[in-house]
Amino acid sequence: MLPASLDEAVSAMAESPGAVPVAGGTDLMGAVNAGLLRPMALLGLGRVAELRGWQYQDGAALLGAGLTHARMARPDFAALIPALAEAAATVGPPQVRNVGTLGGNIVSAHPAGDTLPVLAALEATVTLVGPEGGREVAVSHLLTGLDPLRSGELLAYVRVPLLHAPQVFLKSGGRTGPSRAVASVALVLDPARRAVRCAVGAVAPVPLRPLEAEQWVAGCIDWDGERTVDPGVAQAFGEYVASACVPDAGAEAAAARTDAAPTTARLRRTVSVLARRALGRALS
Amino acid sequence: MTTPSDSTDATGGHLGGNPGSGETTLTNLATVREGAPGSATGAALGGLLGATPTAPAPVDTPGTETAAAIRAQRSGIGVSALREDAPAKAMGVYPYAADLWAEGLLWGALARSPYAHARMVSIDTRAALAIPGVYAVLTADDLPPGPDGTPNGAPTGPCIADRPILAAGVVRHHGEPFAAVAADHPDTARLAAASITVEWEPLPALTDPDQAFQAPPLHPDGNIFRQLPIRFGDPEVVGEVVVEGMYQVGRQDPAPIGAEAGLAVPRPDGGVELHVATTDPHGDRDRIASCLGIEPDRVRLVVSGVPGATADRDDLGFQATLALLAARTGHPVKMVLTREESFLSHPHRHPALLRYRHHADAEGRLVKVEAQILLDGGAYADVSSEVLANAAALAAGPYVVPHVFVDAWAVRTNNPPSGRMRGEGALQACFAYESQLDRLAAALDLSPLELRRRNVMATGDLLPTGQAVTCPAPVRELLDAVADEPLPPLPVDRPDAEWLLPEGPGGAGEPAAVRRGIGYAVGMVPMLGVEGSDEVATASVRVTGSQASVICAAVDPGTGFATLAKQIVQEVLGVDDVYIAPVDTDQPASGPSARGRQTWVAGGAIERAALMVRQQLLQPLAARFAMSPELLSIKDGRITSYDGVLGMPVLEALEGKDLWATAQCRPHPTEPLNPETGQGDAFVGLGFCAMRAVVDVDIDLGTVRVVEVTAAQDVGRALNPRQIEARIEAGVTQGLGLALMEDLTVAEGHILAPSLVGYRLPTALDAPDIRVAALIEDRDVVAPFGAKAVGAAPAVVAPAAIAAAVRAATGMPITRLPIPPEDAAV
Repeated sequence: MLPASLDEAVSAMAESPGAVPVAGGTDLMGAVNAGLLRPMALLGLGRVAELRGWQYQDGAALLGAGLTHARMARPDFAALIPALAEAAATVGPPQVRNVGTLGGNIVSAHPAGDTLPVLAALEATVTLVGPEGGREVAVSHLLTGLDPLRSGELLAYVRVPLLHAPQVFLKSGGRTGPSRAVASVALVLDPARRAVRCAVGAVAPVPLRPLEAEQWVAGCIDWDGERTVDPGVAQAFGEYVASACVPDAGAEAAAARTDAAPTTARLRRTVSVLARRALGRALS
Repeated sequence: MTTPSDSTDATGGHLGGNPGSGETTLTNLATVREGAPGSATGAALGGLLGATPTAPAPVDTPGTETAAAIRAQRSGIGVSALREDAPAKAMGVYPYAADLWAEGLLWGALARSPYAHARMVSIDTRAALAIPGVYAVLTADDLPPGPDGTPNGAPTGPCIADRPILAAGVVRHHGEPFAAVAADHPDTARLAAASITVEWEPLPALTDPDQAFQAPPLHPDGNIFRQLPIRFGDPEVVGEVVVEGMYQVGRQDPAPIGAEAGLAVPRPDGGVELHVATTDPHGDRDRIASCLGIEPDRVRLVVSGVPGATADRDDLGFQATLALLAARTGHPVKMVLTREESFLSHPHRHPALLRYRHHADAEGRLVKVEAQILLDGGAYADVSSEVLANAAALAAGPYVVPHVFVDAWAVRTNNPPSGRMRGEGALQACFAYESQLDRLAAALDLSPLELRRRNVMATGDLLPTGQAVTCPAPVRELLDAVADEPLPPLPVDRPDAEWLLPEGPGGAGEPAAVRRGIGYAVGMVPMLGVEGSDEVATASVRVTGSQASVICAAVDPGTGFATLAKQIVQEVLGVDDVYIAPVDTDQPASGPSARGRQTWVAGGAIERAALMVRQQLLQPLAARFAMSPELLSIKDGRITSYDGVLGMPVLEALEGKDLWATAQCRPHPTEPLNPETGQGDAFVGLGFCAMRAVVDVDIDLGTVRVVEVTAAQDVGRALNPRQIEARIEAGVTQGLGLALMEDLTVAEGHILAPSLVGYRLPTALDAPDIRVAALIEDRDVVAPFGAKAVGAAPAVVAPAAIAAAVRAATGMPITRLPIPPEDAAV
């Protein structure tokens, strides 16, 4: 099925409830080809032109779910939402970036999905369109399953507030070539609300927000002046974020697998370094 | 369409084609022979391809000398000839084993053990047989009895036959096959394999090689594959400076670009014809025949296109079950493993634990090396005993050490199988002894380079096995060559150039946290099989008209041997058009394409056969000219006398005859190492390599990027310099993978992530600039052409060099491969 518009796609979904929508297919088709998934039908979203661009709406950008990573990584988009562009540029190899989409990254909800911490830090919302019309859901609610995708619904748009302030996305994959994130940190400044928002990806099934660390560091920043912090503050912020997002290896885990403790220590250290560097870059 | 032959001709045209013989030879030379490997598809595609590259004759232009110069560069030994199969592989039409097809074929699938160690209480195949479309389900009970009447088939293995092709009663590693299915569709076959009901009784898995000594035996043969002590010199000697270290090498997977695949066709005489991507056709044929309980002559192996092999490739259990399914069903059977199965089934590099103690005097001269080496051989013997011999005998490295004491063991565990992989045994030891040298240099406050210079071996020095190194050993020259190369510029010197940071483009790398390190390593690898294995190859060369053919069962698994064979014949016979016949087991045996042996043995056999043909060609002519054949030379398709007065074209000299010759090459014999003292002349020859690695390390995150690797290699004689460079690049990249990222994670004997997402291979961004500082051509007089094998040495030395560079950058000890980020973070 290859609908040409969003309306057609929604009605096609309603007609065949077993159909699985596919955009870039970088996750889905791998599973289908390996025989892990046998969908009743595939609903190709490649021809739905209205999902492939973006528009402005009340100080926010309304991004089509079909935006590819390659498109988001381009400079015009980077001027708009820098962290999302940085995240999109680090997704996989170029072949994947050319077809993989923002919507697909959200719906497949892989723990190491690169755009997810950025969307969580930006407090983005998504528009889900179903037979009964559209509804707005916070990305974090969708990812945590607080408000899941219902049968027959399609993810159509992502609403991202435009903050006009520095944003940083940092990812550590442990090597120079493309890789899955071991940990990633997205950090955005919101000067209007005098807030710092930070999300850590890949360390848990969903991106984590260290809310206390955010509040603490926002209080340390001189918002009206130079907007800089002491290196000691950045260091402490990194450790604060790391201890909030990477739990101690439990006694049971330590007993079951002896290498759990060093793994946790290493992950903490990575998150701490990433958060420190992210804050440093956002405030430089 | 632009084909390489077009471009060749274009070059010939532009630079001036000789109106005489030059132009034809240029065209002939470039004629693409993609169809070579793989008979069925090869023939079909060969026809298709044969038509495309037939290029028009080049335009006549003046400049005979230029044309001759170009010609001289394009054939014979020592030139960088284009690889035979390169055009087809680049165009995507090279026929690999997975592309095979036969009319009415069935699909095979294997049922594999979900446990690392378990007893099969009962097995029920009725549900699988009841599925429509299933033709056969085989278990160990269906295997023909072994030669001595053992039920459940003859066990098999390259050195020691201890492995059942289908597990009977007990499984010993995760993924061990216990049943095989043939069905009319691949999905049906997989479904049937999954519906075989087995009542399992899980047993405790032995996964720590240290425990293998005390644990109850996992196999009737016991848990120790081999124990090898080496006693060389005086055990009481103590040096003034002593350093100790414990080193660990992880489990590297060969990760061939194409997973295992094959086609078996039953023959009317009850035998089987197998089309598989093997690297040892005759060895596999004999082992399959013994599993099938028939004579080797009734099994025929046809080698199809090999999609990557770093030594051994196919898992024998896969080939034998495939043959058995075809024999039982009477239909052709095709089996293509998934990537997951491929990770589960084929042998990996031996994980190793090495403990070293180096003694040196105050000037930094090595006095004594003590080592304990423990190799995890996995569940079955495979080639563990040979790998152990390499590791133990080369344990002191290319250094002069008067006293060496090594204790080495290869043990059985329930971990995934270990086997042959480029530089087996030598690599593990190289990482340990080079790390020790760095440690010693730090203890003596010497530069690592200086310490190595004071200790390197040269021709005539003794190995710890008591064998004198008789081949050229230019270790010092190699080390000087890499040390003299200029270092890559620092990013501060080139502010305009983009600096690729350790976390990659757009990653989290921070220039302020990056430290650069430079490390050196030297290493050595044995040539050919060790300890008395009979290394022999046979080849036939035939000349008819203007074409020469080579029939030699040496498989070219991507190493470029076919190109080399062509160059050898061109050199000896002066014929440009050389056809390399596809390999099957009807040809005389040439042994496995492993241990760097084909250049030596098969190359030597081809040279001898070609020389015999040359003799037949020149003898009558020499008689007619009344001069000895030595005074005649063949060049540019013409036979000319020494003074250039007499001569005639080769074609005319042949007089329509068809000249054949077959020859063998068997290097001088070696002897097994003494089981008590480890003494003996076990090696035919040794190859050496030195490397300098330059790395950038993000010391906060522990991420490493290798900026540059400079290599110098002892090649004996460079037969095709471009191919040697390609082998060095391949070896360095594979070594880099082991040094930084390639590790097949196993927990309790289970492979956790058998996929290319979980198993990380180096990408183009990870690969460093690889520079060849020198190819030292010091001919080895006993080797054909004086050439040494080049494939393994770079893979052996690269991990040690990278580890040394990371050590220099971070000051951390670096004792584990792959280097975990926590070890490289300061």
